[in-house]
Amino acid sequence: MISDNYNEDLAITRAPHKDYPQAVPASFYIDPKKCLFLNYETCQICIPTCQAKAIDFSQKEERLDLSVGAVILAPGFGRISDKVLARYGYGHFPDVVTSLEFERIMCASGPSRGEIIRPSDGKHPQKIAFLQCIGSRDITSGNGYCSSVCCMYAVKEATVVKEHAPDVDISIFYMDMRTAGKGFDASRQRARDTHHLRFIRSRVAEVRERGDKLRLSYADSEGNHREDDFDMVVLSVGLESPEDAQSLARTAGIKLNQYDFCDTKAFLPLDASRPGVYVAGAFQGPKDIPESVMQAIGSAAAAAEILREARGTEVIRKEYPSEMGIAKEPRIGVFVCHCGINIGGVIDITEVAKYAQTLKDVVFVDDSLYSCSQDSQKVIKDAIKEHNLNRVVVAACTPRTHEPLFQETLRDIGLNRCLFEMVNIRDQCSWVHAHEPEEATSKAKDLVRMAVAKARLLYPLPEQTVPVIPKALVIGGGIAGMTAASSIAEQGFECFLVENSAQLGGNLRRLKTTLTGEDPGQLLNEVEARVRNHPRIRVYTNTQIENVSGYIGNFASTLSTETGSEVIEHGVVVVATGGREHRLNKYLYGQSKHVLTQLELEEILSAPEKAKKINEVVMIQCAGSRGDDLSYCSKLCCGQAVKNALRLKELNPAASIYVLYRDVRTYGFMEDYYREAREKGVVFIKYEKENPPVVMPNDDKITVEFMDVLLGEKVKLEPDLVALSVGIVPNEVEELAKLLKIPLNQENFFLEAHVKLRPVEMAVSGVYVCGLAHSPKPIDESIGQARAAAGKACVPLSKGFVAVEPIVSSVGKDKCIGCGICESLCPYKAIHLIKVDKKKKAETITASCKGCGICAAHCPTLAISMGGFTNEEIMAQIRAFGQC
Amino acid sequence: MGREHGAKSGAVLVVGGGVAGVQAALDLAEMGFHVYLVEKSASIGGAMARLDKTFPTNDCAL
Amino acid sequence: MAQDSFKPKILGFLCNWCCYAAADSAGVGRYQYPPNLRTIRLMCTGRIDPMFIIEGFVCGADGIFAGG
Repeated sequence: MISDNYNEDLAITRAPHKDYPQAVPASFYIDPKKCLFLNYETCQICIPTCQAKAIDFSQKEERLDLSVGAVILAPGFGRISDKVLARYGYGHFPDVVTSLEFERIMCASGPSRGEIIRPSDGKHPQKIAFLQCIGSRDITSGNGYCSSVCCMYAVKEATVVKEHAPDVDISIFYMDMRTAGKGFDASRQRARDTHHLRFIRSRVAEVRERGDKLRLSYADSEGNHREDDFDMVVLSVGLESPEDAQSLARTAGIKLNQYDFCDTKAFLPLDASRPGVYVAGAFQGPKDIPESVMQAIGSAAAAAEILREARGTEVIRKEYPSEMGIAKEPRIGVFVCHCGINIGGVIDITEVAKYAQTLKDVVFVDDSLYSCSQDSQKVIKDAIKEHNLNRVVVAACTPRTHEPLFQETLRDIGLNRCLFEMVNIRDQCSWVHAHEPEEATSKAKDLVRMAVAKARLLYPLPEQTVPVIPKALVIGGGIAGMTAASSIAEQGFECFLVENSAQLGGNLRRLKTTLTGEDPGQLLNEVEARVRNHPRIRVYTNTQIENVSGYIGNFASTLSTETGSEVIEHGVVVVATGGREHRLNKYLYGQSKHVLTQLELEEILSAPEKAKKINEVVMIQCAGSRGDDLSYCSKLCCGQAVKNALRLKELNPAASIYVLYRDVRTYGFMEDYYREAREKGVVFIKYEKENPPVVMPNDDKITVEFMDVLLGEKVKLEPDLVALSVGIVPNEVEELAKLLKIPLNQENFFLEAHVKLRPVEMAVSGVYVCGLAHSPKPIDESIGQARAAAGKACVPLSKGFVAVEPIVSSVGKDKCIGCGICESLCPYKAIHLIKVDKKKKAETITASCKGCGICAAHCPTLAISMGGFTNEEIMAQIRAFGQC
Repeated sequence: MGREHGAKSGAVLVVGGGVAGVQAALDLAEMGFHVYLVEKSASIGGAMARLDKTFPTNDCAL
Repeated sequence: MAQDSFKPKILGFLCNWCCYAAADSAGVGRYQYPPNLRTIRLMCTGRIDPMFIIEGFVCGADGIFAGG
């Protein structure tokens, strides 16, 4: 028995094991550090035990020499050292755990099967403390940076605990709550309000043991010393650079930064120091999943740019076995998923499986812990072969995410993918009837019965594809749009870059410096020259998008230019419409010449003579954001304020600068600049949302009054200038969103298809988003996301075709009487009348059909059928519902 | 393979099989490149495969 | 009391792109609602033929829900 590394060593496993049921590859492996044979040349019990005779100790390490055109480094992150954790009792007290360990403790497939228990005595903790910034924002630990993810995962873990056990008391000890990403602040607030999480702004000084509890000492926000006892302490550990960062850097020939993360520049966030080597994910700097995914897609695009001539030269196409003929009699296999405890914890899976066995034409039933795991796919394939199954029903989560996976399994074994039906017994059953297990079980049985009834009537449908016009339309000529256009063109495709104003550049034109010292003006000149001179890019300025019609692969857009209108055809669309500084109606903005926005201050600071005369500045953070004006965090203002503060200190070291803030959100390596600003004497003072600073006119001058919590009294200042962090709003895009039929969120930012895994795609295929149109973000993230959008956009362009889901309509020409009702009703112009033997007949335009079925529902002769949703199939489901 | 001398390779090496490495590998393959995905541990998935759920939607991480 | 024990059987037709997606989100958000609904996923509520509704009532539905 050895400790289970996957479960953070909280459980035990054997030397030959696999990490978790869904592990890819799905085969077992032998841990060489723990194997008795490899270490002591004894044991070898596994060799005769393995019935497949799959264990071969004579295998040797092989050296492979690969010839590649580009390298992408994504080694992830390392762990904060135990020495740092030991300061908080980790290693001494068993109930002090890391957040990663706690993640396993909460997980249904973890060592305690999702039961939240203390490691020391297995009891349920009643009071839990989360300690933030462990190994982050702490130069004594060697990590001056902010790890950018801990605030979010702490809120998540606290929320999950509360969902399991609403009575548990949770305190989160933090310095600043840095929930800066899209929608993050709203989630944090919701979690705090619904689950009554206690947020305590303090760095805990010490963790001691007291009886069977852990005593924390800390200073509260008024500076008073406090102590409190907890059953369990979770250390929100930061992200360290990978342990092997230095050797990897040597091997790859790239530079690291001072913290041993990959060194990149703000304007080239994905480029390592060696040409042809790109970086993605936490190795580039601590970051969360969506940012990592964006960088990954962007670095793939970067590699595709330099290798465009070699595209397709070394690919191996996946071949599917030819489809087997299927017997007329349905032979249905039903697979019921536990989804850990997500389904199995509520629904009686055994009962559902037993019930499925009784249904007509069901010849095989099985249940599995996770039916999406790779070994479960093998079980399904084997069952299809062994039992000659010709229809498959999986009762698990939602077909909206998992149907393609199971359909692929069917294709792999030679079964048409339309012979599949999915039953949603998780998202729409166990999760929403968590407290009514019997009712949920009976609902699951009904749904399985209905699906089986439909499955009996399923029949194979042909795969169809439509060609793609290999050109892209990029809307918006700011840095995001220009970057996207440049990448698409470099990847080898023609691109139309459309900007509604007279100039390219957008907000970049107003930037004078960056926090990390780059020159935005130079970037603008370079990128503008690149897109204007590129043979594959056509730039349109002063141009509006009048209309967009079509679908992925075949869009036609009408542009209204200064010289008239023009129709362009393209296969994909990248939306980079950008955003701008919000305009405020408070803090005397627009009324007093002493009140500016941060961008306006930046303009002044670019003229050193003027800047030297500024002796006192008060900066008000979240002046527009996180409140009544804009509900969200604008993400970039804290960095901007620190940048301007440092710039002013450089020009006039004697200047007094006060930054009034709610939380300083200088995440990642920006934290170093925040620290530098404090060291140089910039004063940061926290204010509460309920008690914001007040700006008053004072003859020709101006007065700022605010509450200093530490002093416990009101402070009045008469600064030369007040700089407001006004926040970012998206540009007007309602019309465009309507034209493209893509959704906006409440704040009018474009809504991505999936916040974590599809951060640049949108609900409509072939349309991608990047930059401020997606959410407020600093320039390096806009550039990274723009390259990601270009990467995704080039997928259909380089394939040259897109596959059509076989849900489209088809017309039975014999039954069709040519009445034309379908043509008049179709919202997509996807069905029309043609002459067949002098008679009018309807015909589907497959590429345009969305499968909505309006035509089928209105056809008076029932001549139109929908793939996977025929009248007969739906009627069978209805009858199975009523068991009639 | 059999590529002409001096011509660019149509293959890309991706180091690391966490969410970033896997995503890069998938996209490169979709774009028409051969990918070598190298991961030092026994299975891909990295840190994300150890997460129970993800913020802010609390979707399953696996 | 009779009112309390009435457990209606409701048949739902849900559009894949909106109501079905919303029902999934409800699950992700762990919203709890009464377990009386049995759903049929369609690609659009436009697919609903009046015949489906009649058949639903004939087969014993106490109510029909169309979500799109």
